[in-house]
Amino acid sequence: MKTILITGAASGIGLATARRMAAHMQVVIADRNYEAAVLAADEIKTNGGQAFPVAVDVSVASSVARMTQEVAGSVGEVHALFCNAGISPKKPFEDWSEADWDSVIHTHIKGVFLCTQAFLPQMCNRKEGAIVTSGSDYSIVGHVHGSGYAAAKAGIYSLTKSIALEFAPYNIRCNSVGPGPIETPLIRKAMNDEQWARHKSQRGERVPMGRMGKPEEVASVVDFLVSDRAAYITGQIIHPNGGCVMW
Amino acid sequence: MNPGGSKGSIIITGVGSGIGYETARCLLAQNYRIIGIDRQRGRFDELPAGDHLFLEADVRDFESQKQAIEREAAHHPIVGLVTCAGILVRRPYLELDEATFDQHLDVNLKGPFFACQAVLPAMRKQGNGSIVLISSSIARSGSVAGAHYAATKGGILGLARTLALETARDGVRVNVVSPGVTDTPMPRGHASDAEVLAKGAKIPLGRIGKPQDIAETIAFLISDDSSYITGQDIRVTGGAGLF
Repeated sequence: MKTILITGAASGIGLATARRMAAHMQVVIADRNYEAAVLAADEIKTNGGQAFPVAVDVSVASSVARMTQEVAGSVGEVHALFCNAGISPKKPFEDWSEADWDSVIHTHIKGVFLCTQAFLPQMCNRKEGAIVTSGSDYSIVGHVHGSGYAAAKAGIYSLTKSIALEFAPYNIRCNSVGPGPIETPLIRKAMNDEQWARHKSQRGERVPMGRMGKPEEVASVVDFLVSDRAAYITGQIIHPNGGCVMW
Repeated sequence: MNPGGSKGSIIITGVGSGIGYETARCLLAQNYRIIGIDRQRGRFDELPAGDHLFLEADVRDFESQKQAIEREAAHHPIVGLVTCAGILVRRPYLELDEATFDQHLDVNLKGPFFACQAVLPAMRKQGNGSIVLISSSIARSGSVAGAHYAATKGGILGLARTLALETARDGVRVNVVSPGVTDTPMPRGHASDAEVLAKGAKIPLGRIGKPQDIAETIAFLISDDSSYITGQDIRVTGGAGLF
């Protein structure tokens, strides 16, 4: 059974993807929140899948190095990677501090850089591998109060294309999934029931399809991109966004 | 309604060869009923036994295309439309005559336009459906001696996005697949077998596309795996022409 490592896998889109991939792959649940990663791995194992929790802060090189070592020792080879970990602070542009900027850019762009660099050598040796990074509609159209996030996501997409080109000769594909508005627990938890219902309906109304997407609707796209069904797709960004952004 | 547990009917134009044929094969294996439209049967009879039907029609004959689709809709739910019929006759820009221009516009753009018009009433009524239009990487990159072809394929993008917006609240999704150079009869119209295959050396993944590569992406867009994807253009190019 092949193995996929998913960062930010303990909640939201990462967790939905971990559950979906567990149907046919062993899943490494990598998350900053180790307790949540253990819970997610336990749930997958209870449902008959194979999962291994590991702690990581993707923005810190030493943490990624430690994770890589732990995974090599306890799980073995990693065949596919979903770089999904992300944060999304929202502030007017003039209120972004240098620390805000650094944490967003490091979690996203540096996180993808560190994690892909960690696992690409073994993929090169096997002459096979699939990487999916996490982009966003906002990387294409910009984001009010999310300037650093939009910039980071655009950086990820650019990095994705360069990895795609540099590692295509090794039969390694690298693509990005760029979701639109998704019902993630991060948004849900910040609101009470009434606020959430209002947010869901107002946000959904602005989507051509008339609703927000579900994490599972992103997970199925990641599954496609990792699989051989997408054997000739590399360097692309696919947007499960209900029609919000078309380009 | 669905004999043999079929997932519903998929209309495929240009089913006799290349991407159209391979898409029929792929979706047939996934238990859809296939309604193939083409001027000639071509390879249609090579399809494995299953729930499939061939309708001889020229996609430029918009009325008979429409009637064929409406006849099917009267008896089976049409859950998908894939417009693969397309032509490419290369001509330097200043040598392109009006008849060749019109022929490309009719087959590559007007045909899909009216095929969509024919399936939409049934899809709207049942509250679901997935339309996949075939464009080309040439829509964006352009191609020497292919201005007329590029114009039709660019038109497909505008058509798809508009239809996606117009139908999004009806449960209908409309997307595009843009192949790069693919191993089908089309590129062989102007190049030898060896020349076509040699194009793979300049592509990042080191080979030209296979019809199966395109068919799998079409099948993904037809399936519920892409339930939140509409108005998008999936570029199946082996990493060529990233932008």
